Amino acid sequence: MCFKNLPIDFDAQGKPFLRAGVANPYAPSAAGPRGAPAQLTAERIEELLKRNGYIKDLDFDPVTRVAGALAFHTVADFQARKVLEARSVATLFRGYEVIMVGRDPRDAIYITSRACGVCGGVHSVTSAMAIEMAIGCVPPPLGILIRNIALALEFLYDHPLHLHLLAGPDYSAAMVGPTNPSLLARARSAEAPHAEVHGFRTMGELMDDLNPLSGKLYLEALHMTRVAREAYVLICGKYPHPQTIVPGGMSSTVTLTVMNEMFLRLAQFFDYSKKLAAIWDDLTEFFYAANPAYMQVGARRANLIDTGIFDHPEAYDATYAGAAAWGERRWATPGVIVEGQLVTTDLHALNIGVEEFVEHSYYEEWSGDGQRQHFPTDPVGNPLSPYHPWNKVTKPRPQGQSWKEKYTWDTAPRWDRQSMEAGAYARLWNTAVARKLPANPFIEATGTSLKLRLPKGALPEVEIEWRVPAVWNAFERNRARAYCTGFTTLVAFNNWRAAMDRLKLGDTRTSTPFEIPRRGEQRGVGFWGAGRGYLTHHLTLDRGAVANYQILTPSTWNASPTDRWRQPGPYEEAVLNTPLLEETDDPARFKGIDILRAIRSFDPCMPCTTHIHSDAGVITREVNTCACGVDDESG
Amino acid sequence: MRVIVAGVGYRNLRDHSIGAAVVDRLVDHPWPGEVVVEDLSYNPIAVMQRLDDEPRDRRFARAVVIAAVERGDRRPGTVTAYRWDGVLPGAEEIHRAVTEAVTGVIALDNTLVVTRHFGALPDDVVVIEVEPEVQEFGDTFSAVVASAVDQVCDLAVVMATDAGAVARLRRAPLGGGCPTSRP
Repeated sequence: MCFKNLPIDFDAQGKPFLRAGVANPYAPSAAGPRGAPAQLTAERIEELLKRNGYIKDLDFDPVTRVAGALAFHTVADFQARKVLEARSVATLFRGYEVIMVGRDPRDAIYITSRACGVCGGVHSVTSAMAIEMAIGCVPPPLGILIRNIALALEFLYDHPLHLHLLAGPDYSAAMVGPTNPSLLARARSAEAPHAEVHGFRTMGELMDDLNPLSGKLYLEALHMTRVAREAYVLICGKYPHPQTIVPGGMSSTVTLTVMNEMFLRLAQFFDYSKKLAAIWDDLTEFFYAANPAYMQVGARRANLIDTGIFDHPEAYDATYAGAAAWGERRWATPGVIVEGQLVTTDLHALNIGVEEFVEHSYYEEWSGDGQRQHFPTDPVGNPLSPYHPWNKVTKPRPQGQSWKEKYTWDTAPRWDRQSMEAGAYARLWNTAVARKLPANPFIEATGTSLKLRLPKGALPEVEIEWRVPAVWNAFERNRARAYCTGFTTLVAFNNWRAAMDRLKLGDTRTSTPFEIPRRGEQRGVGFWGAGRGYLTHHLTLDRGAVANYQILTPSTWNASPTDRWRQPGPYEEAVLNTPLLEETDDPARFKGIDILRAIRSFDPCMPCTTHIHSDAGVITREVNTCACGVDDESG
Repeated sequence: MRVIVAGVGYRNLRDHSIGAAVVDRLVDHPWPGEVVVEDLSYNPIAVMQRLDDEPRDRRFARAVVIAAVERGDRRPGTVTAYRWDGVLPGAEEIHRAVTEAVTGVIALDNTLVVTRHFGALPDDVVVIEVEPEVQEFGDTFSAVVASAVDQVCDLAVVMATDAGAVARLRRAPLGGGCPTSRP
């Protein structure tokens, strides 16, 4: 039984049902998650601020070096060097759910792609999968394989971007020097354990090359994003918004030439993956050894959720009924981890446990006051909350900001009422522990680790091993992201080999024809993932048009605000647990580097939009971007 | 001398589409010499890589870049042309521009700063800006911007082909320069 908070039990056959005798199981007053941390009340914070001069507001607006518009409010105790209050603020509205209503579902593939300027393809695929489920269309095997490769390539753009352009500078000499000079001095004489792999003799040299603009690692990451992008456009037409993803597969023409061109680029990630793992192993262990308190930076409960990704062509049937089975045959196993323990790998259980709350978000409730719950169950009869995405209606309501009331455009998704985080690391963790990987020569799940056998490049063939971490914090997120580059590369390579086998047999079919039904109501959900983890699109069609469209991105989970039970969202919880290790007692000189490391380790992506719809009409906002970047005020 | 005439902006974003619209119009212009017309409305890092891919002996000597930019201190529809002085902001600002570039921001200033910082942009850069009136989905310009399109196209042709006219433009920082017209 995987639910501890929702009133859902399982019968002898493993079918979930609502516990008898619970009058209103999803009522707002229902008990919150057991053992979850809680934010201090706004009144208590105000009182502390008034009484103690060493307790101060510390705001990051905008949080820089992230994709999109994010602000972060904290109240910090500079004497105890800890954070007392943390509030994550998505400052722009993502209106794609509103835009989609009434449209032809095929538009969703192209429109929702624009939700992000980095990972548009993942939205396109998730959207295509939701449509496939709604209309009953299964891609041919080669279409599934090519789709897997395409999205793996997109992640190979995303991982270096996060590691060495966005998060990496937090560990660079340019950043560590001003904030923790003694740490940089130590790094100058500390030998780097994996020098033979990454080429840096000392940690100081490694930190120098993490420097933005001038560092070799920074520049190399820029180059590697190009390599991945070039491979991606061979089958997707263009980046970041692909033109070849369709319900039922891919519209690309795949030839041996295309496959060879792709391989030339993919193979460059064999060595790069070895290097990334070595760099982030060395950085992580260096910081831990210098000060074990770094293990608390960005620490939170290991509550992770992931839909799994990369389908097996013999398993995926595009049905909801089959999702529990085809999900478990994915290259990355779906799953939910609570307090470090894997509690389910079943996509049905994962799906029915999801609820989305808006108590602190700029939206109106869509449930309650006698409103009918549109879907009391999922398509196979499992119970659904009125707060489930299939029942949710997006009702934006812009208003003033108040920590007591509403303060963000993000909602608060919860699974079994718990605050969960999404990330590439959840993908690794589930896969490592579940041991359900397809048989292959390169990746092995041991139950506690993932062994990755990276083929020979300029560097020799190497087996690297990502181990389930004993602590969960900012450093482990980044380390896992580095290993995930190797994992993604090998998933792509496995699928490339399988695709080559099919091509050699003369199988070139990449898509299945489909028709959009013009009658009745249909439902679908795309369970996929972004470079940053979990991604779902829940879709309802009515007479051929979109009646409801709900998107849950990894950053919807991670940036979520405090919920109705005062349980903080993942960024908030991670920052609340972060010690302030910066070497200054002067709040005026304080840069908040540890807080920023905590936040950036999640790789925030705050997809934004061009319009805010309100009852008063359309309020135009920032339009020159689909993933607004922000400035680095803190240096 | 090779010249690139480039548009930067977004399609289907009304006034902000003028860069792409001008490129669409000029691509079939009977250009003399080696003038290349391209829409560079994509990730400025990729733009930098595209410009950098030109063979060393065939690099563009001049870029004429057209975009709608909301500066706020001009009336909508104002066309501003200047030779960019090429002065880059500080390292933090450049880093911000790179971050924005790789996370999906497409904007004139970012494109110029990123491509110049990495040495891919020609030394001689003529910027033709139009102050937009509307920022919303759609494939039509506002009346004031629509009335400026012909002028922007003519200006782009002149700046791509007439070295004397380029020399008479004043050098200015991003967004600077005297308004060429006030419709």
